[in-house]
Amino acid sequence: MRRLIAGVVAGIIGMATLPAAADGFPARDLQGIIMWGPGGTTDKLARVLTPIVEEKLGRKVVLVNKAGGSGAISAQYVHARPADGYTILYGSESPQIHGVLGLSNISYKDFVALAIFADTTPTVLVRNDAPWKSLADLVAAMKAEPGKIRMGSTGPAGTAAIVGTMLKMSAGVTYADVPFEGEGPTLTALQGGHIDFTPVTYPAASELIRSGKVRVLTVVHPTPYAPLPDVPPVVADYPELAKYLPWGPFQGVFVRRDTPPDVVGALTAAYRAAAADPRFVGFVKDLGATHILVSGAEADALVTRWQSITSWLLDAAGAAKVSPASLGIPRP
Amino acid sequence: MPQALEYFLMSWTDPSLLGLIAAGTFAGIYIGALPGLSVTMAVSILISFTFTWDVNAALALMGGVFCGGVYGGSRSAILLNIPGTPAAVATAFDGYPLAKLGEAGKAIGVSTVVSVIGGYLGILVLAIAAPMVSEVALMFAPRDYLLLAIIGLLLVGSLSGDSLAKGLFAAALGVIIGMVGLDPLTAEGRFTFGLVPLLNGISYVAAMIGFFGVAEALFQIRQLGTAGVKQDVSRILPAWRTVFRFLPLSIRSSVIGVIIGALPGTGGDIAALIAYDQAKRTVTNPSRPFGQGAYEGLVAPESANNAAVGGTYIPMLTLGIPGDAVTAIMIGALFIHGLKPGPLLMVETPHLFWFIVGGLVLANSFLLVFGLTGIRLFTRVAECPRGILIPIIILLSIIGTYSIQNSMVDVYWMLAFGILGYFLKVYRFELGPIILGVILGPLMDVSFRRAILSQEGSTLGLLSDLVSHPISAALTAAAVLLVLNQTPLWRRLRRPGRVAAL
Repeated sequence: MRRLIAGVVAGIIGMATLPAAADGFPARDLQGIIMWGPGGTTDKLARVLTPIVEEKLGRKVVLVNKAGGSGAISAQYVHARPADGYTILYGSESPQIHGVLGLSNISYKDFVALAIFADTTPTVLVRNDAPWKSLADLVAAMKAEPGKIRMGSTGPAGTAAIVGTMLKMSAGVTYADVPFEGEGPTLTALQGGHIDFTPVTYPAASELIRSGKVRVLTVVHPTPYAPLPDVPPVVADYPELAKYLPWGPFQGVFVRRDTPPDVVGALTAAYRAAAADPRFVGFVKDLGATHILVSGAEADALVTRWQSITSWLLDAAGAAKVSPASLGIPRP
Repeated sequence: MPQALEYFLMSWTDPSLLGLIAAGTFAGIYIGALPGLSVTMAVSILISFTFTWDVNAALALMGGVFCGGVYGGSRSAILLNIPGTPAAVATAFDGYPLAKLGEAGKAIGVSTVVSVIGGYLGILVLAIAAPMVSEVALMFAPRDYLLLAIIGLLLVGSLSGDSLAKGLFAAALGVIIGMVGLDPLTAEGRFTFGLVPLLNGISYVAAMIGFFGVAEALFQIRQLGTAGVKQDVSRILPAWRTVFRFLPLSIRSSVIGVIIGALPGTGGDIAALIAYDQAKRTVTNPSRPFGQGAYEGLVAPESANNAAVGGTYIPMLTLGIPGDAVTAIMIGALFIHGLKPGPLLMVETPHLFWFIVGGLVLANSFLLVFGLTGIRLFTRVAECPRGILIPIIILLSIIGTYSIQNSMVDVYWMLAFGILGYFLKVYRFELGPIILGVILGPLMDVSFRRAILSQEGSTLGLLSDLVSHPISAALTAAAVLLVLNQTPLWRRLRRPGRVAAL
């Protein structure tokens, strides 16, 4: 309680004394639009990052969840707001494939990244009592009974489907795809034995892995993955996948691309400083994600590469409704 | 064990924690009572707010808001026919008719007492059987969720009023409303006509506020001249006799509530609907016919939705799996405070479990106090002249709907549903089945498709699953029985004398 009071007092003093950034920006409170619902990875990161950003900016950033439409709703909303830097999108990778899925024309080409601060790595999991000890075992089982082994996924454009597509292409296997609303429900179904395996990102699975309830067959990573040093990377079995890797969902904050450069500069400085704060770095690590910190042109390169790999994989799997070539997305 | 007791009592003896739980419960009641302001929203705002706090203080406040909010939804359901939260939909079926009869005070009194009974039972199950219940919850396969949705939808039969055909039409309308938007399994747009605002689907809270609150308000404009219903406030606290009479039903409903609450795919709203159906089928001589102000129709959903609170904590604390949207956010809060929600949470931080259990017991005790005070003031709402009350209801409905996700589109839908609901009422359609369809239709849709995809699309495979697994077989039997016991054949078999005479 004492800490709370001290915090509030410090906050008030801080707000009163902090000089406003470039040319009086921000002159009022900002709005942060979270792409997904409460409780998800994007939401958690936003709620930990924002109090630190507020310290740097000297203004409040009022957070609002605008989930829905696979993330298209929030991107569309922020894009429709004035390009004055007062509306900030807290988003993940999804808008980069809205084009090939025919959901929306808006992608991160329409936004500039203030900071991309977390990257996640997919793992392939089975229940701890499953007969398969390695990826090779699972692949052999899928080949023995094509279409029988059930894979839990998060829909046709989710992480699981993309990793499944990589396996389909390199191992030539087929499986029954059983989609769920998110990684949480997928892992619940895995524990109940209602699906046989699922590719999910490490943050979602880290506690289950640690408890020994599930077994990791492989990490979708070009080299052994630091938090799971004993698990063989997928390239050990399928070296041809190396050109796509590392590949995984990312998290960042964005504003409209036509926002004035000095405003982008002020916001980038604040968000970069907050994302480099030890409190935030520690949280990203606790979550099981990889902390990265890129902005501007460097971030553009990251999101463009991600879009190219994922769009063409979806196209190869027959899940793309609009050809990536027609959208001008280069091959990886 | 003494250590467990110490953590159990921690929030009882620390004045600041005690104060936070009391404040949380109090605030929760009003957040729950205001349509559109949801517990989910309140708890997610609290995450940023309590970011720098001690984790115990944060959890105490959130637990209080959760318990208070689930209960608070019944207030507006009884007084205004607007369920404050989706979990209070079933409460409106008999609660609002009671207010129309001038018994709002007694209705709130009874619902408070049974809510607290349900709440305590939910916590009891959480405290003594959490690991066991979570194992059972994991065993529920997609096909079992399908069966639960079917059992819930059979409630259309009891909610249809005098015309089953009109009831079926209303339920089908609800199912279609629930289907709009991106299909959660394929991300394919359904009934979206290529419009981006429709990608997100139609908020079922907007449908609920429109069809219940606004439609009723518009309907009452027809009787604008008549005075508000005089409320009898001579006896607010239910007599012990009354409580004992409802106790068996309250316990039965709580058991349903805690199990459905513990299932990761379902929460208090579905628990309350199924408990209502159960009451309607099992209570042979209700105080009044169901739907016209039966106290039994209030006891069942109110016991069940509060028992579901304890239930939703079970998978969260034992497995790190959220039991509903609110516990999903709490898991986020645990993460932010440096704890590791997952199967090892209870092993590595057992004190957290007992602290939460203790806090919930306390929150329910505060609920009894706050719930039973101020009822007289509240019942005045129902006595307000209609000319004043109706504009306020419409205004509240608009603000509440907008605040669901800060979207004007939701407000337009809500108003459209209000007008549509008015005409449906004029032509004597019941509106309950619509909400039933909106809530259960999507659950049935995705569960069916998941179940059949798991069987490579084989209908035969799915059918054999439905009878060969113990949980599925029990649920299938329940669904079949629920249909059969409404047939003339069943009634004849139930009277052995008559059969022998034939």
